[in-house]
Amino acid sequence: MKQEEYSLPPRTGVIRDFDGYTVGVKVGMAFIYIACALIVIVSLFPIIWVMLAGFKDLREYMSSTAIIPNAFDFSRYTKTWTQLSVTQNYLNSLYVIIGCVLCALIFNGLLAYGLAILKPKGHKIVNSLVMVSLLIPATISLVPLFMNIQNFKLGGFFTPLWLAAGANAFFVILFRQFFQSLPSSIIEAGRIDGCSQLQTFYKIVLPLSKPICVVVTIFAINGAWSDFLLPYLVLGGSKWQTVMVRLFIFSTQQTINYDDLMRAVVFSMIPPIIIFFIFQKKLTENIVTVGIKG
Amino acid sequence: MNRTRISARWRQQITSWLIMLPGIALFAFFLWGPLLQSVRMSLYRTRNIELVNFVWFDNYISVFKREEFHQALLNTFSYTFWSLLLGFFIPIFMALVIGETVRGKGFIRTAAYIPNILPGLAAVILWTAFFSAERTGVINILLGKLGIERMAFLSEASLVIPIIVITATWKGAGATALIYMAGLAGINPELYEAATIDGAGIWRRIRHITLPAIFSLGSTMLILQIISIFQIMYEPLVLTKGGPDNASLSLMLLMWRYAFGGTMDFGRASAVAVIISVILLAFTVLYSIVNRRKTDWE
Repeated sequence: MKQEEYSLPPRTGVIRDFDGYTVGVKVGMAFIYIACALIVIVSLFPIIWVMLAGFKDLREYMSSTAIIPNAFDFSRYTKTWTQLSVTQNYLNSLYVIIGCVLCALIFNGLLAYGLAILKPKGHKIVNSLVMVSLLIPATISLVPLFMNIQNFKLGGFFTPLWLAAGANAFFVILFRQFFQSLPSSIIEAGRIDGCSQLQTFYKIVLPLSKPICVVVTIFAINGAWSDFLLPYLVLGGSKWQTVMVRLFIFSTQQTINYDDLMRAVVFSMIPPIIIFFIFQKKLTENIVTVGIKG
Repeated sequence: MNRTRISARWRQQITSWLIMLPGIALFAFFLWGPLLQSVRMSLYRTRNIELVNFVWFDNYISVFKREEFHQALLNTFSYTFWSLLLGFFIPIFMALVIGETVRGKGFIRTAAYIPNILPGLAAVILWTAFFSAERTGVINILLGKLGIERMAFLSEASLVIPIIVITATWKGAGATALIYMAGLAGINPELYEAATIDGAGIWRRIRHITLPAIFSLGSTMLILQIISIFQIMYEPLVLTKGGPDNASLSLMLLMWRYAFGGTMDFGRASAVAVIISVILLAFTVLYSIVNRRKTDWE
């Protein structure tokens, strides 16, 4: 009995090891684990449910109240996949993601480099304008932005989406905070060695900034994949529709087959889940250290 | 000698600005410009994407007179109320509970965070299936097991807003809880020991050490929460289209409806956008006051 208790890792919450194993502590811990079980179930059940629901055909979906489908027939998934030509949408989303990640890293990174390290006269104005953009959402100015995109004849292709990722206040602030934490002696040393400002950026600052680049990349991928309002206005109806645009249009149709809709939802959820499990540790760690959610 | 040094410094200033220029240009095109244009456009009568003529505050007056605007304003406050009730306290509770676990902490944390990585649109569609009025709606199945009659949740005017807030909380709570957990992990363990030596039990430690640590983060999180709930748009757009009878119409959705809901009334949509911006700006000022006191962003 004692042996087992010692093998437990130390308690790190309010209840500490020195509280011992009184009845009160045991009841409390039981309550805590029940609450955690509930948290896990509530978080995961809807996701598991939709994946299972995707195995049902329309009749089963509309009539059966069982959660487990009658049969695990993957051909239903593949049928919806080809019917909605999801391959093309996946490819389009991939193009959007690649461009967005590049723009997010280059433009936000350079701007933050200016704000954090170069600090030319007047940079504080830009800094506070960026802060304002962090708190006033881009969606508010969707209407004039849409008009500008139309006026500049940028609609119908990815360009506005790519470039929009280059104007992300959240990314600029992430970069800025990281650059500020770099030791100024290294940057000074580069300057003395005769590096120009741009050379300092890609020879000294960038190689030191891998962790923050990874974080911004993950957020940019997730954002580019999930966003659908601006992509809908820019790409809607064209052959460049992303997965989310397709899903949005599909979900607003007058007559939809709900089983197909659920499968489409699953298709849209799989890539973020895969990416999450690849980068899981980096992501949760960095949210903890950065203290902001994406 | 002196002159070359001065010109070198000028050159440096100019290159610095040139390095920042692409980013600034993009911010101007995508964020700052459109924000100013919203203000300008809200003062014009528009036809499609053209400004027709300057009408002073006509758009605002006509928006203020509309029943749907009153409804949307009221709803937005109702959204705020529910999101404070659910969206604020649930993550705190989650952080407290998960922080106490000894085994399986990593797994529980990951599970709680997963909804946050799902695309918002996919999550909302998923919830339409859960709250469907059909016999096969998941919530109806679960209620049926408890012997409760099935309901048409999303056609119930008094239920739609809480339901939409629940779905938003489901998605966001895990990520918010993670931030609180980081704050809790920062508490010096000696504090707990010292309190225990002074005779403080578990409850008193929670009250005097843990909760104050949470609330010092909480004031910032609260304002961020309010700001984000004011932007709620695609959730009601997909779940209920703002219905039943505008019961879940938010200000942002009203803006979307004026602009892209078929009428292309960009002038009026901009007026709504400016009204939201003013409200948000007020919160932003509040946020910066609180933030300046608590942390150092600069």
